[in-house]
Amino acid sequence: MTGSHAVTVLLEDRFITFNRAVGLLRRRNFPVRSIAVGPTATPGLSRLTIMVQSDEATAGRAVEHLQKVIGVREAVSFPASDGVARELALVKVRGPGHRYAEFLEVIQLYHVTVVDDAPDAVIVQLSGSESFVLSCLRALEPFEILEIARSGAIALRATNHMGSQP
Amino acid sequence: MPHQLTGAHILCRALLEEGVDLLFGYPGGAIMPFYHALPEYPGLRHVLVRHEQAAAHAADGYARASGRAGVCVATSGPGATNLVTGLATAHMDSVPLVAITGQVPRAMMGRDAFQETDIIGITQPITKHSRLVEDAGEIADAVHEAFAVAQEGRPGPVLIDVPKDVQNQQAAWTGAGARRAGTATASAGSPLTQAALLREAAAMIAAAERPLIMAGHGIVLARAYDELRALAERTGIPVVTTLLGISAFPESHPLHLGMPGMHGEVHVNRAIQQADVIIGIGLRFDDRVTGNLAGFARGAKVIHIELDPTEIGKNVPVTIALVGDAGTMLRGLLAEVRPRECESWRAEIAGQVRPRVESFRGGLTPEGILGAIDEATGGRCTVVSDVGQHQMWVAKLFPYQRPNTHITSGGLGTMGFAVPAAMGVAMARPGEPVWAISGDGGFQMNLQEIATMVQERIPVKMAIFNNGYLGMVRQWQQFFHGRRYSATPIWSPDYVRLAEAYGIAGRRVECAGDVEQAVREALGRPGPALVEFMIEQELNVFPMIPPGASLSEPIEAEPAPLVPT
Repeated sequence: MTGSHAVTVLLEDRFITFNRAVGLLRRRNFPVRSIAVGPTATPGLSRLTIMVQSDEATAGRAVEHLQKVIGVREAVSFPASDGVARELALVKVRGPGHRYAEFLEVIQLYHVTVVDDAPDAVIVQLSGSESFVLSCLRALEPFEILEIARSGAIALRATNHMGSQP
Repeated sequence: MPHQLTGAHILCRALLEEGVDLLFGYPGGAIMPFYHALPEYPGLRHVLVRHEQAAAHAADGYARASGRAGVCVATSGPGATNLVTGLATAHMDSVPLVAITGQVPRAMMGRDAFQETDIIGITQPITKHSRLVEDAGEIADAVHEAFAVAQEGRPGPVLIDVPKDVQNQQAAWTGAGARRAGTATASAGSPLTQAALLREAAAMIAAAERPLIMAGHGIVLARAYDELRALAERTGIPVVTTLLGISAFPESHPLHLGMPGMHGEVHVNRAIQQADVIIGIGLRFDDRVTGNLAGFARGAKVIHIELDPTEIGKNVPVTIALVGDAGTMLRGLLAEVRPRECESWRAEIAGQVRPRVESFRGGLTPEGILGAIDEATGGRCTVVSDVGQHQMWVAKLFPYQRPNTHITSGGLGTMGFAVPAAMGVAMARPGEPVWAISGDGGFQMNLQEIATMVQERIPVKMAIFNNGYLGMVRQWQQFFHGRRYSATPIWSPDYVRLAEAYGIAGRRVECAGDVEQAVREALGRPGPALVEFMIEQELNVFPMIPPGASLSEPIEAEPAPLVPT
């Protein structure tokens, strides 16, 4: 069944290893939606999270290819619904001015944090599942979005499945 | 206390530790410290090629013939980029290769320095692994890692990029010795599952009515010739050998069918299409083998024995996957498989054998030439082919009896491969004749290497099938492009005089009666020799599966000429 799959990779935190892993995904034409990378609890190892829109077999093939890359210690895939996938977004909107009350309403409704507040523009921070982030963005659209920075999803397979929380 | 050495010396010593005794290379600015150290290591024989591409192909030929990693060396920039085609060739055909390139000094990297290229970046998709060595203290480890990675599992090329200042930098030499690489290994399943899969495969083979073995390069890489033969003989299952599987099974064996695919004989492809069980061993079901996938062996269940898990199910759906070395897996299978016969199925296939339809004027036929080479060498020779029409003839018409005596660029289809690769083969197999067979197109891509053969006394015998065309492209133009022979007529120099200029024996053969003598004469000369065969200009390779068609749709004769309107 086609859907969102998370491919998570533990790899040596060297540029070249990351480059190899990502280059391979491009070369083999995997349907990548997002890529995120960051450190892990083990010094020298990074975790790479790749969200692919594919069937399970394709995600599995990506794992097999990634396991062949020197410097990759571990690669697994799971359907996004079997884990927790979250992303962070920073959104710069034009200063709400006379629509401030309306703006506050959105912020409260979506638990959005204002992280920078200037007269012309406000930067808000939001995080959650991909669908939550997308609906937040839709809610913010009326306030004229100037810039968006999204982290791409990071994911862990759930040991005790909690269902879909925002 | 370990003593201090320069990176260049450490590089040489680490190569010696890996058992290397032969390098193909070309010096230049960024690799000079290495070349400065090299004369102090007489155990490392260096062959100076005339173009770095030839260094990669020669190392490739050496590796294919010896089973050990071949080594090539080049400088930074253009030296390194000239290796690219050779690395890609080795990568496609799973050949263990270690390429060492010089790089500009660390402080100059990233500044577009003279002769700087990002060779690690350039070669990333065509190497199994690559490493920029940033400190002389890492060189030995990088070399040992490179050999481990190149030779372990599914072999492939590895590149080590060494900045010039790192070659000059002092570091401790500890003589650490070879080590294994820290590769994440894909699990081949628990022994229990594997045993169950082997039993299941054996049951499938026992129940099959029309089983077929398709053997590929994996047999050669695992040297599983005896196991393959034992499986075939115990079960009576006919054997098809892919382009890189040719010579893994004796051609004269009654169970040998031939080569499948685009230029496979009709009965071979029909056997695939009619099979109910295909046992694919060490092959990747390449598109040249399968034709249109939707129409490939639709009635067959596939048992795929393959070392690389990423090959399973890549092109062809697999019913039973046995992930592992071909030899190990075949031994496991042999323990389970009961003797059986395939008489009626074999008779059915034999009934479909068609007379060859290629016709040759003047009697100078590919089989005549190849037969003469076989006869004159008593079958004791290795044939290295280039790419194109002659490659198909060499694949289909030479009577290979001994394992791994057919060497060619299969996956990448690299024209210009034969001449330099044959140098490596000849050095891996001294005392055995090695024939480089090329077309007039491919020969002209790397003929400069005759000079290398002369200087290094490498006794390669070269045969040129000269038809004045880039024959395979011309054939496609004839069949699929309305006979518009665009850019395929190709002029050749006088090869006999060329040979003379290089100081080697050269001869032109224009009629069948002269073939045998010319071949014997070339073999009789102590060094390299060249024979040019003036074959008919517009020969075609038949049968042919048109691109995009299924194995059931061969072209067996030339399309009717266009009628002028």
